[in-house]
Amino acid sequence: MTSFIKDPLVWILLIVIIAAAFAVMRARRTNMALRRNNDNLQSNLVAVQGQLRQTQSGYESLTARHVEDLAEVRADAESATKSVLKSAMGTLQSLAEEQQVLLDNLQKGYGDNTGVLADLMLIDHTSSQFSRRTKGISVLCGGWLGRREESASVYDVARSAQGRIKDFNRVRVHAQVNISITGKAVEPVAVVLAELLDNATKYSAPQSPVEINIQAVPTGVCLVVDDAGVGMSQETKARAAALLSPEGVVDITGLGDPPKFGFAVCGMLAARYGFSVSVDSVSPYGGVRAVIRVPEGLLTTEAPQPAASHDDHEYEEDVAARPRAAVPAPGPTLVVGTTTGGLPRRRRRNRAVSVVPEPEQQTAAPSGADAENSEVTASRIGAFARGTHLGRVSNNTEGSQNQ
Amino acid sequence: MTSHGEEAPVTSDFVRSYVITGGRRLPSADDLALHTLVTLAPDREMPLGAGPEVRAIWELCAGGYLSVAEVAGHLSLPVGVARLLLTDLFEQGHLLRRAAPPRAQLADRATLEKVLHGLETLIV
Repeated sequence: MTSFIKDPLVWILLIVIIAAAFAVMRARRTNMALRRNNDNLQSNLVAVQGQLRQTQSGYESLTARHVEDLAEVRADAESATKSVLKSAMGTLQSLAEEQQVLLDNLQKGYGDNTGVLADLMLIDHTSSQFSRRTKGISVLCGGWLGRREESASVYDVARSAQGRIKDFNRVRVHAQVNISITGKAVEPVAVVLAELLDNATKYSAPQSPVEINIQAVPTGVCLVVDDAGVGMSQETKARAAALLSPEGVVDITGLGDPPKFGFAVCGMLAARYGFSVSVDSVSPYGGVRAVIRVPEGLLTTEAPQPAASHDDHEYEEDVAARPRAAVPAPGPTLVVGTTTGGLPRRRRRNRAVSVVPEPEQQTAAPSGADAENSEVTASRIGAFARGTHLGRVSNNTEGSQNQ
Repeated sequence: MTSHGEEAPVTSDFVRSYVITGGRRLPSADDLALHTLVTLAPDREMPLGAGPEVRAIWELCAGGYLSVAEVAGHLSLPVGVARLLLTDLFEQGHLLRRAAPPRAQLADRATLEKVLHGLETLIV
């Protein structure tokens, strides 16, 4: 026994055992504490995760609402912008139209003065481009182009469009058909064609020609615009196709800066009036080939009234309405009224708008039938007397001289 | 689609004058004065590809002599524009021109009045 007690090993062992027991106890306590801590943390984690999920779903719903609201605000802003622009452009549009009418009158008034006329034409050219711009923006904002009362030949529509762009003298018009476009579609087709010509001249070499070919197709008439430019990139083509499709929605704030209105205007007008525009083919000159196809419904074979020839029926009415003006003129021409410009209107018989009748025509005029009865003679003398009376009353010395 | 009634009528000239001239320089007024008379030369064929204005001039001038001012008036074009088209036709040999006739000799007023009174008594 003493040997046990005296044995230091035993003591050491004992101490070690006690220390171990103590350490185990301590470790266990720590373990317990950690486990408790862990449990706490776990439950906290679950709670936090729950909160996170809640927050996330809240965030998502907020984002969705935000996007919705943003779209709504954008649509509101767009429509507000459009309505403001529409009315502003409407004012500019009517001013531009007024200016063009003024310029028409000025050009006619100062037509004999070469220098003034040439300058007026320069102003007219810028004014036409200005008018086209206002029309384009107005259309994009839901406004109207204005309506022409009379139909116009496709050739004239092409020339009118030509006059609305900067480099109009690079454009050549070739018309193989003699078809007219109805009054309501005249302006829209001209504006669309002008936009296409504007693109064609802008994106091709400065001196290269741009051609308009007008061809009849079974379903209507095609106006084909060819340029010798570099063509369009795939991206531009896709953008153009989207804007030109009838379902295309136009966001005017998304047209870039400076805004590219051209295709948007084309798409809008084509959809509104029922013709089609495409720019997806390649021109034989290497550039873009743009095609406007006007369907039969917008065409008419009735020829527009050229300024020079009115039909005779109208003259008859004129004569009836203004008998005082029906002064018989010598020779085979008959002056049947005056134009708004104060020029005598003549009705031609056979070959006859002659101002200065040939001497034999003068003698030929009184035929045998005229002398039939004295009543006719008397009425003629009466007309002559009224004529001279009119001549004395009238201030227009030039008119009587011309007759 | 909104009704077309909303649309204001557009009355400005559809084809602008500088397109008709093709942006070319206008001839001076001395070449063809307002009262110069023009007519179509006999036996001419209308040039191929003649525009509507040239066709209208052709028709107008086929009937006899007409003054430059009258041609412009009938076409409702500025005189300078009509003059350019006429100059073209003239240079191509399609048109003949001659100066305006001399002013008529004015009879003296007393004679005219006598004639007038005579005529008036005839009518009444």
